[in-house]
Amino acid sequence: MNNFIINLVPGETFLHKLSGTTKVRLFFVLVVYLVMTFDLRLVLPVFILSIIGLISLKPKFTSFSYIIGFVIIMNIVNIILYYLANPRIGSSYINSETLLFQLNNYFVFTLETLWYLGCRFFKMITTFLVSLTFILSITPSEFAAGLYACHIPYKVCTIVEMAFRYIPDIARDYKNIQISMQARGVELDPKKAGLFSRVKQNIMILIPLIITSFDRIGNISNAMDLRGFGKGKKRSYYAEHEETPNDKKVKIVYCVLAVFVVAYIIGRAVFHIPQIWYPF
Amino acid sequence: MKPIIEFKDFSFRYKSQTEDTLKHIDLTIYEGEKVLIAGPSGCGKSTLSSCINGLIPFSFDGEIKGSCKIDGIEVQDASIFQMSSRVGTVLQNSDAQFVGLSVGEDIAYALENDNMPRVEMLPRVYESAKIVDMHNFLEQVPYDLSGGQKQRVALAGIMHDDVKILLFDEPLAALDPMMGNFAIDLIDRIHNDYNKTIVIIEHRIEDVLYRDVDRIILMKDGTIVADMTPDELLVSDLLKENGVREPLYITALKNAGCKLESHDISNVFDMDLTPYKDKVIANFNEAKIHHEVKKNEVIIDVQDVSFGYDPRQKVLNNVSFQVTRGEKIAVVGKNGAGKSTIAKLLCGIIRPNSGHILLNGEDYMQFSIKEIGEKIGYVMQNPNQMIVKDMIKDEVGLGLSLRNKSEAEIEEKVNDTLKMCNLYSMRNWPISALSYGQKKRVTIASILAMNPEVIILDEPTAGQDYRVYTEIMTFLEKLNKDFGITILFITHDMHLAIEYTDRAIVFTDGECIGDDSVFKILGDADIIERAHLKETSLFTLSKRLGLPADEYTEYFIENERMNRHE
Repeated sequence: MNNFIINLVPGETFLHKLSGTTKVRLFFVLVVYLVMTFDLRLVLPVFILSIIGLISLKPKFTSFSYIIGFVIIMNIVNIILYYLANPRIGSSYINSETLLFQLNNYFVFTLETLWYLGCRFFKMITTFLVSLTFILSITPSEFAAGLYACHIPYKVCTIVEMAFRYIPDIARDYKNIQISMQARGVELDPKKAGLFSRVKQNIMILIPLIITSFDRIGNISNAMDLRGFGKGKKRSYYAEHEETPNDKKVKIVYCVLAVFVVAYIIGRAVFHIPQIWYPF
Repeated sequence: MKPIIEFKDFSFRYKSQTEDTLKHIDLTIYEGEKVLIAGPSGCGKSTLSSCINGLIPFSFDGEIKGSCKIDGIEVQDASIFQMSSRVGTVLQNSDAQFVGLSVGEDIAYALENDNMPRVEMLPRVYESAKIVDMHNFLEQVPYDLSGGQKQRVALAGIMHDDVKILLFDEPLAALDPMMGNFAIDLIDRIHNDYNKTIVIIEHRIEDVLYRDVDRIILMKDGTIVADMTPDELLVSDLLKENGVREPLYITALKNAGCKLESHDISNVFDMDLTPYKDKVIANFNEAKIHHEVKKNEVIIDVQDVSFGYDPRQKVLNNVSFQVTRGEKIAVVGKNGAGKSTIAKLLCGIIRPNSGHILLNGEDYMQFSIKEIGEKIGYVMQNPNQMIVKDMIKDEVGLGLSLRNKSEAEIEEKVNDTLKMCNLYSMRNWPISALSYGQKKRVTIASILAMNPEVIILDEPTAGQDYRVYTEIMTFLEKLNKDFGITILFITHDMHLAIEYTDRAIVFTDGECIGDDSVFKILGDADIIERAHLKETSLFTLSKRLGLPADEYTEYFIENERMNRHE
């Protein structure tokens, strides 16, 4: 029933067992860290750690290998587009230009651009790996609790949680409606119907899906009201366990990292450290 | 005794409506009572329950007149949170009600909203879960639970602290017969052990009376027409007159001309039958059942079919049965037994891993889903899941227009079908203006327009009261009789099976464990147990009187059919 890569039951590994708050905060700090720099010396350690983290979760790689493939291809397309838009883009970050060879006046290949695009690709992949590790290590309930601990209003956190709760139900409704429509003559077989007509017919399935989903939302909101949702300004979370010694250790890590991030950003503004590290 | 729910000259009108839904209600329920509120759809029983749990006026706007006090608090002045700490509600749809992502989280939901620290929460969740026997499932996710388990979790979630009133909104709607009995039993146990006031809203009176209730309140058109003990109510003809089904054994006793006494008759298992025995037996012996055995040609022939989404895990295992023209068949079995898989297989959505399905003697593997759809139609449980057009005419013609038929041909066929279904006069109506029963008829019409030989209906009457139920079923019976359409019902409604079908095919764990006349099947204790069905009260009655159960039931149903057609 639940084929998503999102796990609903907490796992048993080190990362799984951290509290939602720890995981969410660590993730936020890492994302800011990765956004702020192209410096390979800073990105590389995170890349290595995220791979170790990912493997330590003992995930079923087959269930998301297509996502990895998709992301890699999208990123390759992305850097190709970057190159096509401006083949000399590297030099706008690095104050030099080393021409390797050129096809014509526009399509030049410089060492700086290759370096820049390489760093960019590497950074994107690292961000993706960090996100994937985060998603695989957390349950939606922990995620909601973690967001709440970051002072996000709990009504917003609940929306996130509820989305995960009801996605499989809606997927099942969709499947059922699709079956009945197929029996009535809607052709969804790619061999027999063109892309356009399939898109059109899929839209037809959406109408009953939306109507039944609205019925469901009415029921859910009543069920929530009846159990006191929205009663107070604060709320606690069943899925959020108390801070363990491991949580405390990781807390030190992300606090130090956060301080470093702040110092680095300020330092770069004051001392004009270049955004990218260029060894040549 | 102290009154805990007090309605005094209470009226309520929804904002969008011109007429009062509740009219001058006077009702008092005392602490510790167990009360059943019954009545047909639209009688106001759900509105009444919304007044008790505070959804009115919190979620539904409207005009309140008179007074309604719950535990001494005037509802109009209270917040929903005040009410929810006094009244716990188990909603009809136990799936939508399950808001947590695990059993434990769902039970803890009210405590979370109270901002209770997690350390205090854990033992209380465990205690509540233990009451409903779900304490070993705290980590389970909702997708792996049955309807009955979800309902128990919902019940555990409202058992916390000072809740004084437990309100059950149609607790039997989503359960198979055996789980329904468990639920009624559990409610009874909680009533006895925890001294809560219990209010059950339900129109399946016979099933609720599996355990005693103190009072039944019968509603119709927004007013209370009866407020009496079950015994008094069963003796009277008030249930029938107000569109609520009478327990079958009571109808049987009344049909036999017995004059019922108004005590000790609300439970067929332990009531005293001696005053009625002779009359029922004499009555039965007078009647003769004539068996009509017609043998028609076979339309669908399922031969040794196995299927599994994963070949190692079979959902259906060597299933064989035949469907002949003009039959009405009940496909029964507990949830997850393979009933809906059979429907999908017959429609060609999925195909057997081994074995054959023959349609009119031809192997159906050569046909596409679309082609099979012209022979076997499939009607889903919830009409809202099928309707895609705004107008009745367009909806019914959809299947034909998808098959590129000419305008004139579609027009003619649609009109014929609409006449068949008594919808012709409404052909230009928007579908949104229809009632649930009418929508159901539209979805059936949209399948019939393709001229199928067989239609498969998935739980056609689920969640419907007796009036709509009778409306839908009478219509289907007419289709079968006048137009010779073969009908397969996928259902766990025992009444539907015995009243409207000739044959039952029973599935359990992917195997076909019974294929015989409905009366024989329902008389077989072993099959009943394995398929999560339950014995009907007619069987219990006939057994206790020493009559052959299957023949007696058949005689009763035959009688009822005649009464219906008169």
